[in-house]
Order: sequence, then C-alpha cells, then structure tokens
Amino acid sequence: MSVAPSRLTLRRSAAFAWRSLRSMRTALILLLLLALASVVGSLIPQEMNSPERVAQFMIDHPVVGLFYKKAEFFNVFGSWWFTLITTLLFVSLFACLIPRTRAAIRSARQKPIQAREIDAFPLYREVHVGAEPTMVLAASRRVLSRKAFRTAAGETQVAAEKGIAREIGSLLFHWAFVILLLGVAVGKGTGYVGHATIIEGQTWVDARPNYNGQVRTGRFFTENFSGIGIHLQSFTDSYRSTGIPMDFLSKVQLLDPQGRVLQTADIRVNHPAHFQGMDIFQYGFGWAPEVQIRQSGRMVAGGPVAMGQQLPPDGVPQLALPWNGTEKLLNQTPNIGVSLEFWPDGDAYFQSQVTGQPVQMPILHKPVLRFTTYQGRIFDPATNTLLDTSGLQQLQSTIMFPGQTVDLRTGDVLTPDPKTGKIDYGTRLTITFPGVRQYSVLQVSRDRGVSIVLFAAILIVLGLLPALYTARRKVWVRVQPAGTGSLVQIGGFALQRKAQFEDEFARLVTALTRAGGGEVPGKEAANP
Amino acid sequence: MTPNQLQWARVAKDAFTAALFAYIAGMLAYWAFLAFAKTWMGKVATAVTAFGAAGGLTAIVARGIADARIPWGNMYEFSMALSFLVVVAYLLLVERQLGSKTLGGFVLMFAVFTLAMGASFFYVGPGALLPSLNSYWRQIHVTAMITASSLLGVGCIITIAFLFKDRSERRQLRRLSSQVPPPIMGGSVDTGVLPGAPAGDASPHDLVADGDGAVAERALARGRFPSAAALDKMAYRMISFGFPVWTFGVICGAIWAQQAWGRYWGWDPKETWSFITWTIFAGYLHARATAGWKGSRAAVVALVGFVSLFVTYYAVNLWIAGLHSYAK
Repeated sequence: MSVAPSRLTLRRSAAFAWRSLRSMRTALILLLLLALASVVGSLIPQEMNSPERVAQFMIDHPVVGLFYKKAEFFNVFGSWWFTLITTLLFVSLFACLIPRTRAAIRSARQKPIQAREIDAFPLYREVHVGAEPTMVLAASRRVLSRKAFRTAAGETQVAAEKGIAREIGSLLFHWAFVILLLGVAVGKGTGYVGHATIIEGQTWVDARPNYNGQVRTGRFFTENFSGIGIHLQSFTDSYRSTGIPMDFLSKVQLLDPQGRVLQTADIRVNHPAHFQGMDIFQYGFGWAPEVQIRQSGRMVAGGPVAMGQQLPPDGVPQLALPWNGTEKLLNQTPNIGVSLEFWPDGDAYFQSQVTGQPVQMPILHKPVLRFTTYQGRIFDPATNTLLDTSGLQQLQSTIMFPGQTVDLRTGDVLTPDPKTGKIDYGTRLTITFPGVRQYSVLQVSRDRGVSIVLFAAILIVLGLLPALYTARRKVWVRVQPAGTGSLVQIGGFALQRKAQFEDEFARLVTALTRAGGGEVPGKEAANP
Repeated sequence: MTPNQLQWARVAKDAFTAALFAYIAGMLAYWAFLAFAKTWMGKVATAVTAFGAAGGLTAIVARGIADARIPWGNMYEFSMALSFLVVVAYLLLVERQLGSKTLGGFVLMFAVFTLAMGASFFYVGPGALLPSLNSYWRQIHVTAMITASSLLGVGCIITIAFLFKDRSERRQLRRLSSQVPPPIMGGSVDTGVLPGAPAGDASPHDLVADGDGAVAERALARGRFPSAAALDKMAYRMISFGFPVWTFGVICGAIWAQQAWGRYWGWDPKETWSFITWTIFAGYLHARATAGWKGSRAAVVALVGFVSLFVTYYAVNLWIAGLHSYAK
C-alpha cells in the first residue's frame, strides 16, 4: 500500500477503537462503570441535593474533603468523569445501533430464504398427504401466512419466518435512550429552575433579580426569562392533630408579561400549575410578620419580613421552632440591628419557656414577636435569617403582640392616647407590629424536554416487551410428489424460547397436514 | 381514628404476626423436605406457607382499612406487600409452574427477613400520609416497584441456588470424565444430572436438558435440586419478567416526581439506587446474550443486582438521607 505508515496506524487505531466501542463487552463494562459512579454519588453527600451536608463534611474531614472536591465527588452527576462514561456509553450504543438498525431494515425487506437441507434443522417432520404438490404448496403458504409468518414461495418450497418484533422492539428500546438523552439535553440545557418567594398580597415577576440567586440555568440558556407574573392571593397550611401536614395551598393569579391577569390557580403539592410554558410547583412556605420602624414617628423601614427557620435539633419537630428574621438600620449611627423571632402560637411560646419542652405550632394563635436590639457597626447590608452579632452590643430584648408599638432601644411599650387614639412618638426609634402574613415558595421552571423524555420513556417500555417476550423462528416446508399425493418435509428452529416453539411446531405440522388433505395412511413417514 | 379503624389496626397486627410465624414454620418445613425428602413434608410446607400468605393478605387489607387508604405509604407497609408478593410469586411461578419445592426454604428465608425487618426497624402505626404522597402515581409506582422487587428477589435466590448447583455439576462432570472408560458415554449415571453428551470444554449446563425430562422429574420428586440449566432458566424468566416491571415502576416514579417535586429526576439516593439496580439487571440481560458471559458470569452479575436491590430497598431508608427518607 502506498499510504503513509503513520496515517495507516492512526486509521487502524481509530478503526480498532470504533470496533471495541461497538462490542457488547465494552457497553457492558461502561454500563457497570456508570452504576459504580452512581454508587459514589449516593454515598457521598451531593452539592445539588444537600449543600449543608457537604459543608459539614468539609468541616469534619478537611483533607479527605479537599480530595473529594478536587475529584468532583460532591458533584458526581455533573462531574467530567461521569459525563465521560455517559458519553462513551452513548457513543458505544450509537455505534452498535446503526449497523443493527441497517441489518434489521434489510432483513425486514428481504424475503425469507429458501433452505437447502430441511431435514438438518433441529425440528423436522415428514408427512405424506393426499393432495397434489402444487395445491399442498399453496395451502401451506396460506396456513403460514394466516399464522402471521412472512412467507416466500419457491418452486417446491415455502420459506417462512416470524418474530421480527423482537429485534424491532430491542432497537426501539435502545434508540429510546438516544431520544431520552436528547430530551434531557434540550430540556435542561435551554431551561431553568428557580425558587420564588412571594408574600401574600404581593406579585412576583419572573426575572433573574427576583430569584435572589435561587435560580439554576442551563448551559444554553439565553436569559429569556418568561416575564410572567404570579400574584399570591393567599397561602394556607393545614395539619392533622398529630402535627402531620395535611395540605399546602397557594391561591394565585397568573399574569402574562404585560401584567394582565389571565387565570387563577390553586397550587398544591402534587398539583402544579402550567402557564405559558412554565411549570409552577408548591415548594415551601413560611411566616412574614409585618414590621414598621419609625424615627420620631416617620417611617424609615418596614414591610413584611419573610422569615426562615433553623434546622431542628434531634427529636424536636420543625413545627415547634420559631421563625427568624432581621431588620438592619444602616442610616442610624451607630448602626442598629434588630434580630426578630416570631412565634406563631403565643401559648406555645409561654409554655415552652416555662417547661423547656418544645410545643408544636401548627396554627396562628395569639402570635408573639420577640425582638432583640443591637447597636454597633454592621458591615453586611443583606437581609439574613439570623443577625451576625459579632462586634455588636445588645441593648435590650422584648416580646410584643400584634398592634403594639415598642421603643426599639429601651423596650418601653408605647400606649396610644386614650382620647385621640394616637401614639406620641417623640424622638423615639420605634417598632410596630401590625400583623402577620404568610409567604409561599414556588418552584418556577421551564423544561422544554419533558415531553420528549416522556415519549422516550414510553418507547422504552413498549420496546422492552417484544424484545424480551417474543422470539424469532423460521419454518420451511418442502413438497415433493409421492405417488398420487405429496411428501411434505417440514423443518424449523427458534432462536429464542425454544421450548415454546416445540409446541408451536407440533401445532404447525398438524395444521399443514390438514391443509394438505390429511395424512395418507399406510405410508411410512420418517419421524425422528 | 375511629374505634372501628383501631379494631382493624389490631386485626392487621395479629395477621402480620400469624403470617410471620407461618412463614418461619413453612421455611423449616421446606428445609425438612429438602433434608429428608418425604413427600408429606413438602405438602405440609406448601400448606403452611399458603396459610401464611393468606395471613399476609389479611394484614394488608386490614391495614388498608385502618389507614383509610391503599396501604403503601411507608416501609412497614412495603415490607408486608413485598413479603406477600415474594411468597405468591414463589408459590405460583416456581412451585406450580415448574413443580419444584426445593427452593421454598430459601425463598421463605427472604420473606421472613423482609417481615422481621419491617416489624423491628420500620414499624409505624396506621395513619394518613404526607401531602406529597397523595397521588395516584404513588399507587402505580409503589405497586410496580414492589412487584418487580419480589420477582427480581426470587430470581436472585434461584440464581444463588444455580451457582451452587452449577459448581457441583462441574465437579461431578470432572470426576466422571476422569474415570476410564468414561461412564458418561455409556448411558445413565444415577446422579440426577443426566444421560448426556461427552464432557468437552463446554459448560455443563449447556449439556443438561431443560429439567423437564423424566430424570429431572424423578430427582425433583425425591427432593433434589433442579438441574443447573433448569435453575438458570427459571432465574432468567423471573428476572426478565421483573426487569420491565422495574423499568415501568421507575418511569412512573419519575412522572410522579415531576408532578410532586417539579423534576423527573434529581439523583436523590433512592432514585440513584433504583437506577443502579436497573443498570445491573440490564447488564445481566445483556450478559446473557453475550458469548462468554453466559452461565455463572451472568449469575454473578445478577447476584450483584440482588445486593443492589437490598440497598435500594433498605439501606437508602436506614442510612442515607434523602427525599425518600420519609418512607420510613
């Protein structure tokens, strides 16, 4: 050959790599490797599912943690090596599927091939029948066609086969995974998923800043947030007497990007809303006590504060924990920080203060807002659930009830003038607690691949059934003149489910004999 | 809970206990049958086991009435359903269809283990479910997963039996072929194995008939194990039946997850492990179709799948935190 040797080697090794990828063994090993990688992903906490456990792991095992981080063990399912295994597996699948599909199409088009030696097949019978050969041949073909065999007639022979559904099913099953991958890539790649925190009575608009960083976008996402609006009319959480949640319901109005209300929806767990290509799910909820802060009677800060909860210690139900939030007054010198603690049930608050035992608070009942005022230099202007009190000096800590106004610095309760009903604020810095609202966290997402993935999933199941439960089988019938009648030779074999085919073959022989005018007695038939 | 429901809860507990003890008794009886090969022992074993299955069914129905819902909401209830289906799959598919009682003790060991685990680690009283579990997909998903688990589980127990039998057949074959003249050429050797072909380098289960021959039948009647080939085939049938059901169950779970959590797949530990198990059994089915992997190698893959099935079913709930941990 005149081809340069280096080129040849390259081509050869490429051909070798392609051949190895195509082998079932490679696919099998890759499949089991994928399983192994997933094991790692399930045993080590994952950034995606439990970031707080990852952080804890890094604290507990700093050295191992660093190694894990470098090896992407905290993000197994997005790691380069997981992607590599998946890619190789799909290349291998692809490499396997193309020639198989071609072969399947060829064999589906091809007529069944005539056999040379029928008596060499695993199943074989000879029968003498009364009718003449041409009639027997035609009748045999009819019998086989009626039993859904594909047939091809020669001069003295009918070749028949059945069960191409097995290969088609298997191909469907495997191609479905290519479609599945496509659906995942399209859906996750161009889509996004985020969490919107909406307080009762407020309207939230789908745009990046409104997620407060709680949004994950796909690799090919082009910042085309939908712009739809969600107006939360009300949120309700209800519980059974045992404290087990019964229902979480967000009543919403859905607005198009122009701000028109197009529909209302009840969003609850297992009952998402679908609106203009967006899926909206009930995800979380919480309390948002309203707070007004006044300097000399003039409002300087206020509004509902969406509060968060700490993780409960072992044995303490989440429902027994208070809700936390902060207010920061950075225009005061020195800065004022207020740590807010909200107890939905006042009786539960007092009871737990006295007994030290946690009490669940499933419903709003004489709520209590406890606040602690600090002063000093505050560096972080962001609103957090908890106030970083390092370097701050605590001024006081007080509890208050809805409708009350309290001096922030001293904790004195300001009572309205009995005649005018007005409060004399003086020069005080005050906090007022007019009432409580709830907020709902809705998961907002766009995944254009879901229907493709569902389609692929249906194909997987549909393909699997014939691929596992049907069998390819072939039958040949040769007819020769013998005396006044014919000698019929019937041979056949099955590639799968051989035991079942033996019964089917016996029934076929009976049917073929009957179609040929019945067995001629007296003549000896050679039956093994 | 109404007094009526409390009554049913008591019935469920008693029936559960009855089923557990019947399974233990059935297990011992099957082993006695295996050891002493008396036909009446086999009959007793089947009767006791069937009684246990009836108890299991009673427990499930009573629990459902006490719960006022379909009783597939937590691991305790899954354990009841799984052990019941394992026993039913064994009685109908293995014992009736294939006429073999020798595997009963091992299958029942699995059922007893499942029930005992359920009672000791996962017990919760009857009651309502979390809102996220209130979906008709729960019923489809859980039904499919438990059915698939029972089929795959029984298939794997048969695989273990296959591995032992395969080894002993190989040993026997080696011993026979080393004798001069090879008696195997002459005709029947009373080993329960087979009158068969010459001992070449092919694996023995290729040489052995399907286990429905007269010799195998006689062996079964005497309480012998079915041939390795018959066991292999039985295991393959169970697994190739269970695999599509598992696939369907995982897909239903994904559809439900899309509805409840807003994503069809999130690599939650239970999801991950159901995928791992699926992958391993897919590997098994492929291995069966690959030259050089048939027989004991494929069986080892199935065995790994069995371990994975256990992890999917138990370990994820006991040790690994995740969204499915409320299934405790």
